[in-house]
Amino acid sequence: RVSSDGKPEKFQPPPKPVIIDKQKQKEERRFLSPEFIPPRGRTDPLKFYIERKDMIQRRRVFNIPEFYVGHVLAVTTADPHANEKTSRFVGICIQRGGKGLGATFVLRNVIEDQGVEICYELYNPRIQAIEVLKLEKRLDDNLMYLRDALPEYSTFDVNMKPVSRLDHEEVPVNKLQVRMKPKPWSKRWERPKYNIKGIKFELPESKMKAAQKWSQPWLEFDMLREYDTSKLEDKIWREVREGLKN
Amino acid sequence: MMPIWTKSGEKHAVTLLKVQDCHVLRYISKEESGGKTSKLLVGGKNASPFFKSESAMEIFKEAGVPRKQKVSMFNVTDDAIIKPGTPLYAAHFRPGQFVDVTAKTIGKGFQGVMKRWGFKGQPASHGQTKTHRRPGAISTNKAAKVYPGKKMPGKMGNIYRTSYGLKVWRINTKHDIIYVNGSVPGHTNCLVKVKDSKLPTYKDCNKNPPFPTFFADGDEKLPEDLYDDEVFQFTDPSVTYA
Repeated sequence: RVSSDGKPEKFQPPPKPVIIDKQKQKEERRFLSPEFIPPRGRTDPLKFYIERKDMIQRRRVFNIPEFYVGHVLAVTTADPHANEKTSRFVGICIQRGGKGLGATFVLRNVIEDQGVEICYELYNPRIQAIEVLKLEKRLDDNLMYLRDALPEYSTFDVNMKPVSRLDHEEVPVNKLQVRMKPKPWSKRWERPKYNIKGIKFELPESKMKAAQKWSQPWLEFDMLREYDTSKLEDKIWREVREGLKN
Repeated sequence: MMPIWTKSGEKHAVTLLKVQDCHVLRYISKEESGGKTSKLLVGGKNASPFFKSESAMEIFKEAGVPRKQKVSMFNVTDDAIIKPGTPLYAAHFRPGQFVDVTAKTIGKGFQGVMKRWGFKGQPASHGQTKTHRRPGAISTNKAAKVYPGKKMPGKMGNIYRTSYGLKVWRINTKHDIIYVNGSVPGHTNCLVKVKDSKLPTYKDCNKNPPFPTFFADGDEKLPEDLYDDEVFQFTDPSVTYA
């Protein structure tokens, strides 16, 4: 190129491309275990603060991994009556209940054609280890319907190897639709109050329509039932992170 | 209420009681009260001074203390008398001690005889006419009267009741919280009176208590949390059976 005064212009290198690493920019994925969020009530917040201190203290000594309903976990507990004084149980987490130190989770597995469910307390000092073998969220928060589903959906190999997974990926959602045993079921899962999306209902259309009679469409607009936990969650998440840092 | 685990892995349910602004209000000598021991008036939880008469506020003015919501009496021996106006803390109790807790039970209002006294009522069917939750007969023919104190429907709850022999598992000196075994009468955040246990089995359980009470400005510096020997502390690793 020739510039205006005749001399060849000095070579200008092209501007360096600015690499925006989308993954690093994306905010670190926040996960607050549901038992930290206090229930709505008239209890003094000081009680929840004291409980949280104990929970953080326990988490510092013993690692409780992040897990949701639908994960396959292996739990080893200390058992005074077992041979090696430890007992290991593998199962799919079907329910997470309780708040504070008494938080529990139920693991289900089918061993030798017998369905077994064990309810473990997260903060029980007898638990030696919790390993997450398979990470996958399901379409529902509560998988109690697996009791009425075909047993193949609840069987998991006891010696299963942990499935590897990258840290920063989102937890995958398994959109599996489960097939059920013939009715009667322990609960009428087709009714809208359970709001189950993970079952492949093979019932006739008339039955499904009849179940909608029990729907309560006004519930989602009920303002007295609203419990906005976003600010509380924020505060608690910061507190938990501070406690676990050191 | 909270769970607490022992070192052997057993779980116990525990109630948290907070000692909120407790002060000693007055000393009543044995002759003045007419009882067997002298008494100390103790008040807890500050409240507004504007809604009581002047005569009621005299006791608080004398002790130099804001008006308290609950005032209760404790029988004390002569060597345990404390000067009015001293604050009382949760460290007055120690883990391993046994305690009686008194409070007003939850009020249930006017209740029928089945809920109030646990009567069995009558069957739901087989010809019962309008009689399913009634008391039935109230006296015999020979008595020709109803005995005083007969169990009948009436206002249930909102009376003082005590749970005896509750073990103290843990004390938090920073927030003045006592962790007491089991449940305690009363609703959440209600006012409660905590005393040393009067049961004969726990007469000698308290070794070296802070006598007459724990003084915050004294020489003794306590750690933030005091635990009983058997309590599993969360700083320890998981429980194993060797």
